[in-house]
Amino acid sequence: MKFRLAFGVAALTLSLSAPAFAADLKYPLGEGPFHWENFEALKKIDLKGETLTIFGPWRGDDEAHIQVVLEYFRQATGAEVKYSSSENYEQQVVIDTEAGSPANISILPQPGLLADLAAKGRLVPLSADDAKFITDNYGAGSSWVALGTYKGKDGASSFYAFPYKADLKSLVWYVPENFKDAGYEIPQTMEDLVKLSDQIVADGGKPWCIGLGSGGATGWPATDWVEDMMLRTQPPEVYDKWVTNEIKFDSPEVVGAIEAFGKFAKNNAWVDGGAAGVASTDFRDSPKGLFSAPPKCYMHRQASFIPSFFPEGTKVGTDADFFYFPPIAEMPNLGKPVLGAGTLAAITKDSKAARAFIEYLKMPLSHEVFMKDGGFLTPLKTVNQEAYVNDAARKQGEILSSATTFRFDGSDLMPGKIGAGAFWTGMVDFVGGKSAQDTGAAIQKAWDEIK
Amino acid sequence: MATQLLSALVTIIVGVGGCLAYFYSSNFLLDRVFPAGASNDAAAVRNLKIQSAIRPWLFLGPALIFLIVYLIYPVIQTVWLSFHDKAGTEFVGFDNYVWAAKDSQFRQSIFNNFLWLLVVPAACTFFGLIIAVLTDRIWWGPIAKSLIFLPLAISFVGASVIWKFVYDFRGEGQQQIGILNAIVEYFGFSPQVWISLPFWNNFFLMVILVWIQTGFATVILGAALRGVPEDTLEAANIDGAGPFKIFWRIMVPQIMPTIIVVWTTITVLVLKVFDIVLTMTNGQWDTQVLANLMYSWMFTGGGDFGRGAAIAIVIMIAVMPIMVWNIRQANAEQKGAH
Amino acid sequence: MLQRIRLEPSRFALHFAVFVIVALWTLPTAGLLVSSLRDKNQISASGWWTALSTSEQKGQGRTKGKADQVEKDGKFVIEGNIFEGGAPTTVSAWGTNVNKPGANAPGATADLGDGQSMTVNADGSYVWSNTKAFEDDRGRRVFYVSSVPPRFTTENYGNVMFSEGIGRSFMNSLTVTIPATIIPILIAAFAAYALAWMKLPGRGFIIAVIVGLLVVPLQMSLIPLLKIYNATGFLSKTYLGIWLAHTGFGLPFAIYLLRSYIAGLPKDLIESAQVDGANDFKIFRRIILPLSFPALASFAIFQFLWVWNDLLVAMVFLGTEPDKMVLTYKLNSLLGSRGGNWDILTASAFITIIVPLIVFFSLQRYFVRGLLAGSVKGG
Repeated sequence: MKFRLAFGVAALTLSLSAPAFAADLKYPLGEGPFHWENFEALKKIDLKGETLTIFGPWRGDDEAHIQVVLEYFRQATGAEVKYSSSENYEQQVVIDTEAGSPANISILPQPGLLADLAAKGRLVPLSADDAKFITDNYGAGSSWVALGTYKGKDGASSFYAFPYKADLKSLVWYVPENFKDAGYEIPQTMEDLVKLSDQIVADGGKPWCIGLGSGGATGWPATDWVEDMMLRTQPPEVYDKWVTNEIKFDSPEVVGAIEAFGKFAKNNAWVDGGAAGVASTDFRDSPKGLFSAPPKCYMHRQASFIPSFFPEGTKVGTDADFFYFPPIAEMPNLGKPVLGAGTLAAITKDSKAARAFIEYLKMPLSHEVFMKDGGFLTPLKTVNQEAYVNDAARKQGEILSSATTFRFDGSDLMPGKIGAGAFWTGMVDFVGGKSAQDTGAAIQKAWDEIK
Repeated sequence: MATQLLSALVTIIVGVGGCLAYFYSSNFLLDRVFPAGASNDAAAVRNLKIQSAIRPWLFLGPALIFLIVYLIYPVIQTVWLSFHDKAGTEFVGFDNYVWAAKDSQFRQSIFNNFLWLLVVPAACTFFGLIIAVLTDRIWWGPIAKSLIFLPLAISFVGASVIWKFVYDFRGEGQQQIGILNAIVEYFGFSPQVWISLPFWNNFFLMVILVWIQTGFATVILGAALRGVPEDTLEAANIDGAGPFKIFWRIMVPQIMPTIIVVWTTITVLVLKVFDIVLTMTNGQWDTQVLANLMYSWMFTGGGDFGRGAAIAIVIMIAVMPIMVWNIRQANAEQKGAH
Repeated sequence: MLQRIRLEPSRFALHFAVFVIVALWTLPTAGLLVSSLRDKNQISASGWWTALSTSEQKGQGRTKGKADQVEKDGKFVIEGNIFEGGAPTTVSAWGTNVNKPGANAPGATADLGDGQSMTVNADGSYVWSNTKAFEDDRGRRVFYVSSVPPRFTTENYGNVMFSEGIGRSFMNSLTVTIPATIIPILIAAFAAYALAWMKLPGRGFIIAVIVGLLVVPLQMSLIPLLKIYNATGFLSKTYLGIWLAHTGFGLPFAIYLLRSYIAGLPKDLIESAQVDGANDFKIFRRIILPLSFPALASFAIFQFLWVWNDLLVAMVFLGTEPDKMVLTYKLNSLLGSRGGNWDILTASAFITIIVPLIVFFSLQRYFVRGLLAGSVKGG
């Protein structure tokens, strides 16, 4: 009896871990550029006593942002929402789904990985209505639906992953005052960019900071470079065939793009720390070189999220700014290609709350709150553009919408073993001295092996 | 936090109490059902026999259950998985092993593991011996030994922060904050990106494990050295043997069994090495090792359990000789003891 | 006793050799400790071995904008201090061009062209004057080189403990570690005694299996176990689940270590107790347990260190929710999200190793004794 009592106490105390604390809503209801009617609509869904677990890629500042977004969901529905992430989230999500203990919602930036999970039957399909919503309300809606549509375990295609949050990749960051002091102009074409780089070298500086280090994911920033180069040297159809491996990794088109990246990264005169430093410099440290005096570099090509890693207090738009990674003037037929990425939310364990959360993602409110908090771009057309945290974000939104060609990050579309494996290591080897041809061949070999 | 502490406390009491309660009550029950002090002698003898047949299993029971659930079952499961495809549904025979034999990364890992096996146990034992001999002869030896032992208490994650700091690289002409590059620059060479130097980077990773494990070797070898009979040493000393001769010809052979134990223990550890590679390079720059390769096949990019399991089996087979040796050792000792 | 053999070369060389080895071994950790106590900006500006000397540090400030200009003697002037809001130091050189951050001496007046000039003094105060009215509302960047005296601080620890949530993780780690250390000891001790002194069929085989299990790579048991956990429902992602997991993983070594120690206890002792009519349970309680204290303590330390330092098992069995993060996991995620912030990394790394160090140093005696029982005898 005593024993059972004690065990009961233990079980009770165990279940009491981490009570949900009612934090204040960061943006008071009814004020600001938000669709508050969404909040009222959300209130009609009663989820008291339900727990919603969400697993996502966001840590650090981004985690703070998503928590703000989730707080509105918490308070409106009464659900307890637990968000978690992991430094090795790609592995963690496999462990969790495989073991049968995934979160209700898993948010991942890699459609390729999601496709793998869907093929193993680890994802729950969303409804046809959800797909239709994206088609109707997202800019370039059908391409976003395609990103979230995979073959299930039974081989039938369904819509599985709801895109939420986009990133713009084709950006070059710089410090306007450094450019002003040195008298540099923002290049409009790739040719000008190369000229500017040479000019900076002639002036005794280093034009670029490139860092590929990212712990277990070291190498990924290089894949963005190669993809951007692909879009600037080849028509988008070639790009599409490349990510499905209809065009081999060691074909001249791809090798050419890798070499185009090598022209920057393997050029000791152009890169801070030299080619050797590229692979070992952490991508989070890399942009800091822009801000030192004398500057270690003048330009840094990275996606729209990178200001999170700028020195404390840096104001985007004034202390630091960006320009569009320019296209090659000699190839005007390719237009203004833009490389982007995004995260997609999939249901890994179905529940009423999980479905309600997908409904929440359809509401402009869930986008606007994140926009206001920072670091968020969205293709959802119904949002209030006023909600963008600053002009820079709004400007990025414009680049996204004015692109003549928009393509999703190719490495995220490839099978996980390639896009989050062989491609990364291949790029590390390439920067380390391997030729573009050999690098392409090695990645292709890895791809052949998983077919 | 208070509830958390309380729950921890309660569970310690419940868990430990539960264990104790199990052992007490099961033994009590045994004594009751088959009383040794039974009415007639024949029954008492019979009961005693039954008692001594059952009791060991009462003692061993919980441990066996844990071992079966947590280790034996997974091993069997892994063997099974290694003959199946990536989702674990279709039987594919030896395909995964055939794939492994041809895979360049797998070969690279085997080569690297071989390097690790060659270097780390040898280095640990060598330094361990030297330090044990030297520190035994000075008054502050115990302090020195403690300091060398200290890294053993540091987690791999902590160690990787420490060593990332040591190997930190800044471009030439900038102020180095990694001590290794600072020293290199002081002597007029250019700084290096240590963890991506082809081939040699393996050794920079090994240094970390050697740093962690040498203390272990030192302590055990030191104790063994003290066990070398004094008269042997005295005799050798009188015969005019030099210190090095005494060390190599007399002390080392005397403690050979202990050296082998240290060597094997570290060898097993090396085969399982995973954290250092994962946190420092994740197998890039050709530093892949088997344990990390297995982890990456199992869990990255959607996971392929078949191949991951096949690699795990290879690791198991690689340690098999050491296992057999250890089992023999244990059995021999068993016979000797009783 | 080795002292008696005269290993000549000289006592000095001996002391020196040991000193060098010890220095090599402690240097990496010392670097971490020293760095964690240094000023945030100094850690990444200069090597930790220069911590005691005054360092030259580069910084930048910004002047006020046109809103603060005053007209004086026909000139437009903006005055202020570039250290505004920051810690004041002594300027040893300054400049307004990003490529020549130390072009001017303190107090010197630089001609900035276009009718503008600027003076920056050693204390950071500046005078910026212009023949025309200023039109720039953000002011101008001023770069400076300042000599910063060595500064040690516990700020990094404060930041990490409170704002980065390490304190919580610290408690989580304790919650995981203590039960996961105590439970296996008890189970292993009984099993070890049974395997050492009791007659049972297949004893040799069981011992062989246990020794064999010592080398099973942990990673391969993760998925099968998680599946069992989820089937049970109440084990997945709970503290109970991770305690049991650590118990399971720790048992082979615990039994191996304790068995060889217990088997080495004097036979007469146990036999005479048996003659006195004590059964095995009594013998275990009265004789074995007290006598094998060093081995128990030694295993306890081993298990404590292993559980405290574990990352993988915690990640998989306890999950990654913020309220359950253990220290190693927290540190690992800091490595990711705060990649280059050595102030946070060094301080939090040191916090994670402080407990094992205390445990280790206070119980070192037992640790070594128990270890010796296990392995020296084995050979």
